[in-house]
Amino acid sequence: MFKKILLATSGAPSTFGAARVAFDMGKRYGAEVLVLNVMGVPTKAYSQVVNDVRTGEEVEVDEEYRAWVEEELKNTFEKQIESVEYSRIILTTGLPHREILRAARENDADLIVMGASSGDSSVYRKGYPGSTLQRVAKAARCPVMTVHRETASYWGGFGNIVFATDFSKQAESAFKFALATARELDTDLTILHALDISGKVLDQNEIEDRIIAARERIRTAYDLDGFKNCDVEVWEGVPYVEIVKMARERSADLIVMAHHSHELDPEKARIGSTMEQVILRAGCPVVSVSKPDKV
Amino acid sequence: MPEGILCNKTPIKTEEQLKLTLADKGGKQYYEELNNLDVDSDKLWASIQATMKSRTKTWLEICAHCGLCAESCFLYQVNGRVPEQVPSYKIQSTLGVMVKKKGKVDNAFMQMCMETAWAKCTCCNRCGMYCPHGIDMGVMFSYLRGLLYSQGFVPWELKIGAGMHRVYRAQMDVTTEDWVETCEWMAEENEEEWPGLEIPIDKEDADIMYTCNAREPKHYPEDVAEAAILFHVAGENWTVPSEGWEQTSLSMFAGDWECCKDNVLNVYSAIERLRPKRAIGTECGHAHRATVIEGPYWAGREDGQPPVPYIHYVEWLAEALRTGKLKIDPAKRIKEPVTLQDSCNYVRNQGLKNVTREILSYIVEPGYFVEMSPSKEHNYCCGGGGGFNGIGMYRAQRNMALRKKMEQILATGCKLVIAPCHNCWDAIRDLEEEYKIGIRWSFLKPLVIGMLDVPEHLRPKDEGEDE
Ligand code: SF4
Ligand code: SF4
Ligand code: SF4
Repeated sequence: MFKKILLATSGAPSTFGAARVAFDMGKRYGAEVLVLNVMGVPTKAYSQVVNDVRTGEEVEVDEEYRAWVEEELKNTFEKQIESVEYSRIILTTGLPHREILRAARENDADLIVMGASSGDSSVYRKGYPGSTLQRVAKAARCPVMTVHRETASYWGGFGNIVFATDFSKQAESAFKFALATARELDTDLTILHALDISGKVLDQNEIEDRIIAARERIRTAYDLDGFKNCDVEVWEGVPYVEIVKMARERSADLIVMAHHSHELDPEKARIGSTMEQVILRAGCPVVSVSKPDKV
Repeated sequence: MPEGILCNKTPIKTEEQLKLTLADKGGKQYYEELNNLDVDSDKLWASIQATMKSRTKTWLEICAHCGLCAESCFLYQVNGRVPEQVPSYKIQSTLGVMVKKKGKVDNAFMQMCMETAWAKCTCCNRCGMYCPHGIDMGVMFSYLRGLLYSQGFVPWELKIGAGMHRVYRAQMDVTTEDWVETCEWMAEENEEEWPGLEIPIDKEDADIMYTCNAREPKHYPEDVAEAAILFHVAGENWTVPSEGWEQTSLSMFAGDWECCKDNVLNVYSAIERLRPKRAIGTECGHAHRATVIEGPYWAGREDGQPPVPYIHYVEWLAEALRTGKLKIDPAKRIKEPVTLQDSCNYVRNQGLKNVTREILSYIVEPGYFVEMSPSKEHNYCCGGGGGFNGIGMYRAQRNMALRKKMEQILATGCKLVIAPCHNCWDAIRDLEEEYKIGIRWSFLKPLVIGMLDVPEHLRPKDEGEDE
């Protein structure tokens, strides 16, 4: 399922969870783990100076600095690098979201794994609206997995995957990914539609009708192709709350969602809100899928 | 004649030499070598005699030292109004002396000239408007830079910048393959959202050939995508050349005239090869200066014009809005106080002031646009022009230079600054980083895309379902 996994990491502890998952998966699937580090953000016109992503300090990237960063990464992830058969460190400079997308494309990655804050140092945010995550999730051809905290980072001993659908076109791709993963890991799959009633006044009958309709829709829209361990749920409420609640109830090990947005301005791309809220609150990795290419 | 390994009179011509110079962190060795660099006085004098225009000579002679130009120079204003920052003094004490001494000057003098030419003048040409004789230091300092460059007295970054242009014909190491690949990538990345979006490469006889700034494919490929989206929505028949797409010229900042000529000829030959009806450049001030204003002279074109009409991005954008090719959804217009940075290069030097204001009339809710004071052709340089932004050694001076723009922006009370020039954009970004006045800044393209009224047939088919 995965041949190449691209791990985007600053090397900081906030990305350790992402690293753990990426390497665990690499081991499990015999995949190559590409460790991408965006060393600095160019800010000084055409000069050679960049701002270090972690410290915000101005640094000049030369061979010596590269070697140092590489050494640091190797030390940080020493055990994990040893645990997989193939891994490679990629160092670059640029804007994090752009370089993550570039590396994914160049290497034909099957999955991008990142921490919720990968690349979002204060240096980078200035003048570039929207989070790295939103921008990567929106444009990536492959699924993007976000691991918000280390406790949410155990890939293995799987029991349940929650796939949350909003019935969008992108959700079809997300479904394919969720189903394939559930099969591969032999887990249960919960298909959830969170009926958004926030800010709406609906009487109980209408809610019931909608729930029935949504259940029906899930049954017709998603072909399980003989997969048995699946149940369908429709819960009403605020979508991110319901998704997180469901994940807790099922002790989900993975949440899969679609990412879609036609807004070009990432600041306004509010689909980020459901996805990002889920990521912040979930106790497990969250995969977002927006394109059909790699599922 | 001690020529350094890195610092010498020979331009960087090979990738190897370029990498070697780049590897010299911060230009440490380069600047050490600079201290021992000899001046070839004979060559300098010969070159002055051969290249100095009579206008420059006259200007040096007729300056009445009246000092009327002093207050016009923003660098004079922000640096405590010291006499050393008076435009006439700056040029007389450098180029003036060099000419008087017939090129018999020493290393220390040349280093002083170097600092003056790159850290005390951004070639913004503002002083020329205020001198009763029309004496323009911007023009003269550009000339002086050429003389200094030919003797090897040039800041490290600009030696590299010109080297990039010589080796890659672009200001950054973006090869033809990288460029073409980036165009394909951007088309692919946005095709879903903008069905039918293409970035046609090397299409012959198109209406428009688009050129840009190498940092776009290098670091901000969104900008290329945004240009494509706007051409697409406007229904333009356009193309980009696989060769000759880079419009900027750090070699102009460096004073490497030979390279300027080579690069602009490369762009013009793309025009000749693809035969577009006209060419359009990106939102970059100095790129426009290099290919449209100065370029024809570098290239030795007798009519003083590029091979086909070559316009700045703002001219196309204004036209597209005027003719209704692009429509703005009035509900999405900017509804907060917003100001505009007039770029010296196409406003002061080419009179496009009304064009940018016309664009604003479409995209800003009436009553929200606040002019800087002074504005239009009288506007001050952003503080980072002429290469100033990228020179590490002069960072402190550059940061000081940003203060004028900071005062101007603060006086408008706006939190949003539209800056349709890469250099200005950079300077304003650095200004915020340095002085933290709480502003945002933007090119025009992303703003316009965010408020487009997109015709039905250009929208994505499946909007998905949002319950
Ligand atoms: S060109 Fe601009 S920066 Fe240079 S001396 Fe004149 S006003 Fe000052
Ligand atoms: S205003 Fe003109 S004449 Fe007077 S000092 Fe300045 S350059 Fe010379
Ligand atoms: S960067 Fe902009 S304002 Fe500054 S000199 Fe260039 S065009 Fe003028």
